[in-house]
Amino acid sequence: MSADRDVTRIVRSWLRTDEHESADRVLDHVLAQVETTPQRRSLWPARRIAEMNAFARLTIAAAAVVVVAVVGINLLPAQGGIGGGPAVSPSPSPSPSPPPSPSPPPSPSPSPSPSPSATPLAFPAAGDLAIGRHSFTMEGVPFTLALTTPGWRSEGSFGVDRGHQASPDAAGFIFWTTAPVGAYSDPCAQTEAPPVAPTLAERGRLAELATAITKIPGTRLVSEPTDVTIGGRPAKHVTIAIPDVIPCSPSSFYLWYTDVPCGSDGGCGRYATEVNSTINVWIIDVDGAIVWIDGETYEESSPETSREVDQIVNSIQFE
Amino acid sequence: MDTDLVVQAQRGDKAAYALLATGIAGRFLAVARRILRDLDLAEDATQQALLAIWQDLPQLRDPVRFEAWSYRLLVRACYAEGRKERRWAPNLRLLPVDEPNSGDDLSSVVDRDELERGFRQLSIDHRAVVVLHHYLDLPLDRAADILGIPVGTAHSRLHHAMRGLRAALEADARPPVREVAQ
Repeated sequence: MSADRDVTRIVRSWLRTDEHESADRVLDHVLAQVETTPQRRSLWPARRIAEMNAFARLTIAAAAVVVVAVVGINLLPAQGGIGGGPAVSPSPSPSPSPPPSPSPPPSPSPSPSPSPSATPLAFPAAGDLAIGRHSFTMEGVPFTLALTTPGWRSEGSFGVDRGHQASPDAAGFIFWTTAPVGAYSDPCAQTEAPPVAPTLAERGRLAELATAITKIPGTRLVSEPTDVTIGGRPAKHVTIAIPDVIPCSPSSFYLWYTDVPCGSDGGCGRYATEVNSTINVWIIDVDGAIVWIDGETYEESSPETSREVDQIVNSIQFE
Repeated sequence: MDTDLVVQAQRGDKAAYALLATGIAGRFLAVARRILRDLDLAEDATQQALLAIWQDLPQLRDPVRFEAWSYRLLVRACYAEGRKERRWAPNLRLLPVDEPNSGDDLSSVVDRDELERGFRQLSIDHRAVVVLHHYLDLPLDRAADILGIPVGTAHSRLHHAMRGLRAALEADARPPVREVAQ
């Protein structure tokens, strides 16, 4: 043991010698390169774990316990939620705000066991995506979509994007593995409006979900909800924009949320990536399951890029 | 670490990034040099890491975690440069001894040479744990976090590395054979 301590002391002393490096030359090179090197656009600002108050956490936890205890384990397919969190889908209670219960305590992972017929989560692995078809699973619904141009990258669990900031081909998608259930009534205060579709059965309410998007204060409605068909399934398409001036930073400007825990606690809230961005939302009804896809373009994105975002969603084929 | 500076740099503020980079460059170079045992490679690794930090800053979810995140990028850059080191191993030069020996711990130049030799025989994985823990004084759980490995693996790597260095020191009784240095 003593010998070990001696060696440690000698190694530590050795590592602390020769401390005359100057980083000036390196720094000069780096700062010169930074002038011409764009940052990679963040996918994270398009999604994060929303802060929820204790009441909401308790509500979610209590509801999740009810899912397991009353409804049973075969209600929902097992899948990862946005960000890899557990995928418990919606509260079984018809009430949007079931009363909090002091017992049992909140469960960070109230995920029911997978049913035998559960569809495993599928999302392209992080990295560059080749031209061709790629597989996804959202809300237990498997589908493929086609990429016809290079440069798209998968974030690995919920996002696909392309292009650096300030590039005309910049665009991004969020594929919600568990669909949002409501929008924010005060984006900067991060106040949630009551969920539009709090139960599984009510998730078929496409029109209400799409309308909720149009009512988010501070956003600009680009196009009203319209009926479209995606992959042969009925869907709503609505487009909003984040204006040049909003009352808080984009990363504090919340748009819509899920009702399931993702991460350690709380639900997932989607906040704006940046001002002057345009967000297309497709809400697709696949045999009662809601598939929710956000596709966004930015101030500098070209019209061709906007069309490509639309084309990619229209290439979806459900299995 | 000034979190406000990190947030500003995340939003593309080049002046904020310049301040940020200035604050960390010296320490980064020191860490890279100790991992790679070569100043040129360390400068390249530091440069690559600082540039990667600028490019990927918007993707950092939690600015408070900037320090750990940025060291992770530095270690990755060291891995990349380490591959070059293997290719050019015969041309590696020993680090110059440009500071007087404090005397207490390093009893002789032989110790330095043996440590140098022993350290170079370690993989970059093992060197990184040693430098993060024994040079930066990071607890092993933080080192593991930076390296993206389980804490147990960090313990294991450190144990293996220190055993190798001890063996190198114990070998000083044998006639020293210097590495090829050109």
